[in-house]
Amino acid sequence: MGILKFLIKRLVFSVFVLFGLSILIFLISRVLPGDPVRMALGPRAPEWAVQNLREQMHLDKPLPVQYYYWLTGALRGDLGQSLFTRRAVIDDIKEFLPATMELALFAGVIMAVFGILFGAIAGRYSNTWVDNVVRVFSYIGVVTPSFVFAILFLLLFGYLLGWFPTAGRLSPWVPRPPVITGMVTLDALITGNWAALGDALWHMVLPAVSLALGGMAQEARITRSTISDNLKKDYISSAKGFGVPERLVMLKYLLKPSLIPTVSILGLDFAALLGNAFLVELIFNWPGFSRYGINAMLRKDLNAIAAVVMVLGVVFVTVNIIVDLVVAWLDPRIRLGAERGK
Amino acid sequence: MRKGILFVLPMLALVALGLASWGGGERVLRITFAWPTYIDPAVGSDYSSSSAFVNLYDTLVYPDVNGNPQPHVATHWEVSQDGTVWTFYLRDDVYFHDGTPLTAADVKFSMDRITTIGEGYGFLFVDRVQKTEVVDDYTVRFYLKEPFGPFLTTLYRLYIVNKDLVEANIKRPGPYGEWGDYGKEFLLTHDAGSGPYMVKEFRVEEELVMVKNPNYWLPIPEEAPDVVRFIGTTEPATIRTMMARRELEISDQWQPQEAWRALDAIEGVDISSFFSGTAFYLMLHTRKPPTDDVHFRRAMAWAFDYETVVRDIFPGCIQSRGPVPQNLPGADPTVFQFRRDLDKAREELKKSKYYDQLDQIVVEYHWIAEVPDEEKVALLFMANMAEIGINVKVVKVPWLSVVEEMADMEASPNIVSVFVAPHYPEAGSILESRYHSASAPTWEQNEWLLDPEVDRMIEDALATVDREERFRKYAEIQHYIVDLCPTIFLFDNVEKHAYQAAYIDWPAAQGEVNPIMGYNMAARFIKVYPERREALLKGG
Repeated sequence: MGILKFLIKRLVFSVFVLFGLSILIFLISRVLPGDPVRMALGPRAPEWAVQNLREQMHLDKPLPVQYYYWLTGALRGDLGQSLFTRRAVIDDIKEFLPATMELALFAGVIMAVFGILFGAIAGRYSNTWVDNVVRVFSYIGVVTPSFVFAILFLLLFGYLLGWFPTAGRLSPWVPRPPVITGMVTLDALITGNWAALGDALWHMVLPAVSLALGGMAQEARITRSTISDNLKKDYISSAKGFGVPERLVMLKYLLKPSLIPTVSILGLDFAALLGNAFLVELIFNWPGFSRYGINAMLRKDLNAIAAVVMVLGVVFVTVNIIVDLVVAWLDPRIRLGAERGK
Repeated sequence: MRKGILFVLPMLALVALGLASWGGGERVLRITFAWPTYIDPAVGSDYSSSSAFVNLYDTLVYPDVNGNPQPHVATHWEVSQDGTVWTFYLRDDVYFHDGTPLTAADVKFSMDRITTIGEGYGFLFVDRVQKTEVVDDYTVRFYLKEPFGPFLTTLYRLYIVNKDLVEANIKRPGPYGEWGDYGKEFLLTHDAGSGPYMVKEFRVEEELVMVKNPNYWLPIPEEAPDVVRFIGTTEPATIRTMMARRELEISDQWQPQEAWRALDAIEGVDISSFFSGTAFYLMLHTRKPPTDDVHFRRAMAWAFDYETVVRDIFPGCIQSRGPVPQNLPGADPTVFQFRRDLDKAREELKKSKYYDQLDQIVVEYHWIAEVPDEEKVALLFMANMAEIGINVKVVKVPWLSVVEEMADMEASPNIVSVFVAPHYPEAGSILESRYHSASAPTWEQNEWLLDPEVDRMIEDALATVDREERFRKYAEIQHYIVDLCPTIFLFDNVEKHAYQAAYIDWPAAQGEVNPIMGYNMAARFIKVYPERREALLKGG
């Protein structure tokens, strides 16, 4: 019951956060320099054509009225037209968001699995050569932007060695599976299109790894540090003293509580992947949501900007709630606190 | 673990199978472009869209390599004495991709549609075409509001759409009254053309895939590509990798200087350079001190080091000779050209009314933040001007802000550096868009020339139907403008592309350059040899 109350409270709070975000992004996108309609139609388009489009998009109205139109449309699922793709923004999102979600999910799995694994090993063997190696690579991973990895991998594994494809989500000769979820791997799996599944995974390796390395290094560092600290605590010594097997101590008594800070950061890192994927998507010509979002900003595509920011906001809010629930599951003190209504 | 291996191995085998099936003799042409691409002829007007139109649609007339109009869907045409009525006689053997014949009604529909929507290349016709009349199935007549000499050349941009197909796909209600959305949503991802290629798949923001039209009314060489893919990326590392792996035949033109060198080093890849009809100008504000003084402007024009720009900063380009790029029909090769001469610069500066106040004057120079090489030109300019005592303040400004400030005479800086391309392939286009008073509040003119004599001369030339007479008038205007020195005419730009010289024959790279944007990407003239590609991949 406590958890449910906590969840409802977070959801209500999230609505206010998203409402505030919508006002903020609406205002910011409209004070950027340049006339978006003139940009979309070009400098030579006749003034009446520009005016027509302004009227269609309600840009001739005062800002509060524009916001009203936008908000009521958004609540009906109509996010307006994109000035550049010339279709409904909701259609753009349906096309581009699954591509980035797919990439982010794969990157997230790599980030979580290998980050925790390397961190746990380094923590368990802290101050040994294993720990030193993990720490050095972690520092490199944390300080290197993902686009640097992307270019390095592209040149090394794509250009010099030729092991992996360098652009797109599928090879041109592989039949595309029908769109069900928009995630090519999942659609290929559902329809039993094994050639497409293999090819899509093959295309995913370089961008997903490039995107994951920074977060992976971060999770490894945090996991290593927490495990290393917890190893020195009395309850671990007691468990060992009582003869509890090493493996059980590691997995049950050490790893689980040590994961709490990692999970908190992991959630944020995962949500950030969606926004940070821009350069990786650009380098691997990945038709994703991040690239769409940045292009929308560069082109001052008002409706697209608002939609992209709102979607990212929803993802952040959702991931944060999930992280809170996972942390509550991992940490009985938080769970019990919530149940007591604290 | 074993299960994982059992899952991954078949995947790899399937991928390998897929790889093996590639290169089975299909002729594929892949070209990268800056995106977005619009395939609706009433919407797009940029490089990639224009290249798509040339492949998907037909026009009444087609430009030869000198930009001169030749019969295409129209076999011949007539123009009235006063130059306002143009009648075109069409072929009767042209069919759209769905098999319906192309008739005069389709031409009228296309003109009505583009002038109603007003986007893309609509600006060429909106203020000029009064009405279009279907005389009979294969005769169409345009009535112009006033005589317009270059009308034929603007028809390179009237792409004929299939009236029946578009009408069947109109969504109502829409912004165009009884015409609903005028088929815009349909034409966003489908073609309605009769051109040598047809849309197979179009993923907006990603890739356009076209296949050869087997029933095209003109012969297409067997070696022409079966499939043409326009890919939306300009990322240098990606382009270089795709070129090296022979997954790209022609690159976009937006690569940095270092990238061209790297691409040129790949075996079998060459860099083609041809004049694009675009020129780079330093636009001088003629209504704002101190650039409102013609002597001050001339002093700057004499002091600038043009040679360093075309040798080191934009190699391959040539110094401009007046306002019109030299490859544009109507350009006058005898127009006066400034050269760096500091003595003459100082001489002119002494005649300037600002000569005694040089230490108090700062010339503000804005360059476009999105084009990094422009900064080198700006810094060179600043150094050159310092040699004759002119202080220049160089400011990096985002494109959107430049566009906004150029719309206002007060807010426009003394100098803005901008690339400008003609709207249609004639000197008249660049003269009108650069120096006519109507274009003063746009990004195409920072000069704010507002000279009634220039306006009159331009309008008179454009109304002249006789080509030779019109070109003579263009020449007079060019001399007149150079004398006013409202601009530092820096260089005629070259368009560079990396291409697979080892296995494609591309006429533009071999000197047959069409001066109209997009026409060099007409795939039916490009030949692809897959066997040579295979040999190259095998290291043969």
